[in-house]
Amino acid sequence: MTGPRLVSILRQGSHLIASVHTALDDTQMTAFQHDLVDRIGRDRSRGVVIDVAALDVLDSFATRTLRTIAEVARLRGAVTVVVGIQPDVAFAMVSLGMDTGALHTALDLEEGLALLDRIAGGRRPAVGARGGPA
Amino acid sequence: MVRRIVAARVDDAAMADDLVQETLVRVLAAAGRVDAGMLEPYAIATARNVVATAWRDRDRQRRNQHRVVDLDTPDPPDTELLASEERAAVAEALARLGDRDREALLAHEVSGRDTRSLAAELGSTPGAVAAQLHRARARLRVEYLLARDHTEPPTDRCRPVLLALSSGDRRRQREVEAGRHLLECDACAGLSQPLLDRAPPREDAVRIPVDGDGDVVAARQAARELAARLGCFSRTDLTLIATAVSEVTRNIVKFAGSGEVVVEVLEEPRTGVRVTARDTGPGIPDVERALQDGYSTYAGLGLGLPGARRLMDEFAIASEVGRGTTVTMTRWCGER
Amino acid sequence: MTGYRGQGTTTGGPGGLDGLDGLEGLAEDQLLPQLVAHLREHRARLRHEWADRIQLAGLLHAMTPQEMAAETTSVYDNYVEVLETGSVEALQRYARDLSERIIPRGVETHEVVGIVLLLRDVLARSLFEKYQRDFGLLNRVLDAYEPAANRIANTVAVSFVEERERVIRQQQDSIRELSTPVLPVRERLLILPIIGVLDRERARQLTEQLLNGIRTHRARVVVIDITGVPEVDESVANHLVQTVDASRLMGASVIITGLSPVIAQTLVTIGVDLSKMDTIGDLQGGLEEAERLLGYPTAGGDDGTAP
Ligand SMILES: [Zn+2]
Repeated sequence: MTGPRLVSILRQGSHLIASVHTALDDTQMTAFQHDLVDRIGRDRSRGVVIDVAALDVLDSFATRTLRTIAEVARLRGAVTVVVGIQPDVAFAMVSLGMDTGALHTALDLEEGLALLDRIAGGRRPAVGARGGPA
Repeated sequence: MVRRIVAARVDDAAMADDLVQETLVRVLAAAGRVDAGMLEPYAIATARNVVATAWRDRDRQRRNQHRVVDLDTPDPPDTELLASEERAAVAEALARLGDRDREALLAHEVSGRDTRSLAAELGSTPGAVAAQLHRARARLRVEYLLARDHTEPPTDRCRPVLLALSSGDRRRQREVEAGRHLLECDACAGLSQPLLDRAPPREDAVRIPVDGDGDVVAARQAARELAARLGCFSRTDLTLIATAVSEVTRNIVKFAGSGEVVVEVLEEPRTGVRVTARDTGPGIPDVERALQDGYSTYAGLGLGLPGARRLMDEFAIASEVGRGTTVTMTRWCGER
Repeated sequence: MTGYRGQGTTTGGPGGLDGLDGLEGLAEDQLLPQLVAHLREHRARLRHEWADRIQLAGLLHAMTPQEMAAETTSVYDNYVEVLETGSVEALQRYARDLSERIIPRGVETHEVVGIVLLLRDVLARSLFEKYQRDFGLLNRVLDAYEPAANRIANTVAVSFVEERERVIRQQQDSIRELSTPVLPVRERLLILPIIGVLDRERARQLTEQLLNGIRTHRARVVVIDITGVPEVDESVANHLVQTVDASRLMGASVIITGLSPVIAQTLVTIGVDLSKMDTIGDLQGGLEEAERLLGYPTAGGDDGTAP
């Protein structure tokens, strides 16, 4: 992604931390997906945290994109955790009827990284990831 | 002279005489510094000022002021040419007004008569005169644009639509289905932009032309801002509204390519916001089916319409194959 | 009221009757005070008669005999006072007092209207008995009494209905607030006991509170106890599914307790997807499961709580 910093992707150990800084349109969202998936492959990341705390809407397209990222990342051997979904956004997502069952989620970055550690520790993620793919 | 300009387009010569006379009298009485020979441009400039002021077009206004205040200074040649074209357009527009409207407008704008004295003279009320002046100005703006562009509107429906836009009369705009017409009629679409841009800004409505991805974000942000101003929606309400707008706007982009989203504040029967998403795309053959979960003809989740419906209190969709789709949805303040 | 006039068989009440014979010559505006004096004089007997009629009609059965005695005495006195003063304010005050006093005891509208009408009739009958020997005077007395008595009945009925609605609204509001407490029981663990009917609006309020609570308390596990929800049908279950999903999006797992196996079976049969819901029979079991998820001792994990 070029131009103003809409998103940032930082490496921390074997994890990637991707933060979305502002509302993205569908094209930007798709570009973000490609960039992130590329980085996962290049860095051989084991875990990805996507921080969406700055987003005031997660509509069907954004949610689908997050699911796609998680699925592609999984195929490349990385676990994805989406963090920072705000209460009103979460409410709107379920009201909309989004199926988010396959997404790992956590409250914030700290919790997301803790969850990745638990998963990497070989334990089934007991909390915050129920219903997710094994 | 003023008389020639007006008479050229006014069938009733006596009326033209009166008009000119009155204008001249007022102009002469009002400004000794204005040379009698310059009355024509003065009257035109004043009339143009009516147009420009209402449009709040600063550049033009400045030019008009310049013409009024400093008539001795000749304009550069090309400006002069432009000005003469505009002059002709204004004159033609003036002539196209109904007699009563033109008379009232000139008396008020050029002669400086207030609505009260006009009302007394016409056996009317100041309020009615003000309304008449408002309509006359709206009409003048429309006719000016048509004359300037040397166009005649292609259909019978065009003028009523343009007038409704120019006057900012929302009810009338709905009656004549202005939004739908603008999507179908290129001529009016071209003229509508200056009319809408320069009409008094509406505090209680916002229109977002939809042309691509970025407009999905723009539409939902505009909807959230407008709804937030009402003060009666919780943060969750605002997010539900924004999400619904996002879905229906994306539908426009995906299925029709372009269209518009209008978000309005409602006061009757309760406070709320109404979102109208309109396009002239291919239409939806089976609306019932489109409202079912899981139905989608693009690679989304098929949640566009049924999802948006779940987020709002009221939801209606009108679609005609080959003509387009209009989604109207409302969310009310307070408990449901 | 013709019924009263036709059924006077007893001849006069005890005492005082002869002394009132002079009513014949009274002006109309003197009639009501005389009636009031009569009703005061025979208060004990008439109140008793009224209470018997109330019992016979099966009204106010929610009250004990002691309450009934106290209430009927109070109502009787107020009634006579309103009759005496004819003051609208006094009447409204009386009606409001009556409503406030008896609404909390679960008295229904038809009961309160019923007892006031019974009182009206008991008193009318006593007047009939008193004046039956002089038909002309009886007519005048009843003409003075009936409009005043009907006005009381109407005002009480209207006031009662209004007051009842107000109280119900108030109760609903407080139930709403009281029944959706988000309780932090220990670190990272919230309990949400739901009591009462779960409709769309309430489900929404509850979910909003819970989601905000999850953020505030950084909860990882939420136990929603629905033992207090009277009826768990498809729509309630679907609300719960949404609440569970939304909580999960904020990183919190939800355990539902208080859903009986029978109801769970029924829900599954009608097609409600309970697969995403972690349901455990009782609250205790739910809390144990929650602590296990959080990695407290029994779980044997060392990373249960975040740094
Ligand atoms: Zn047109």
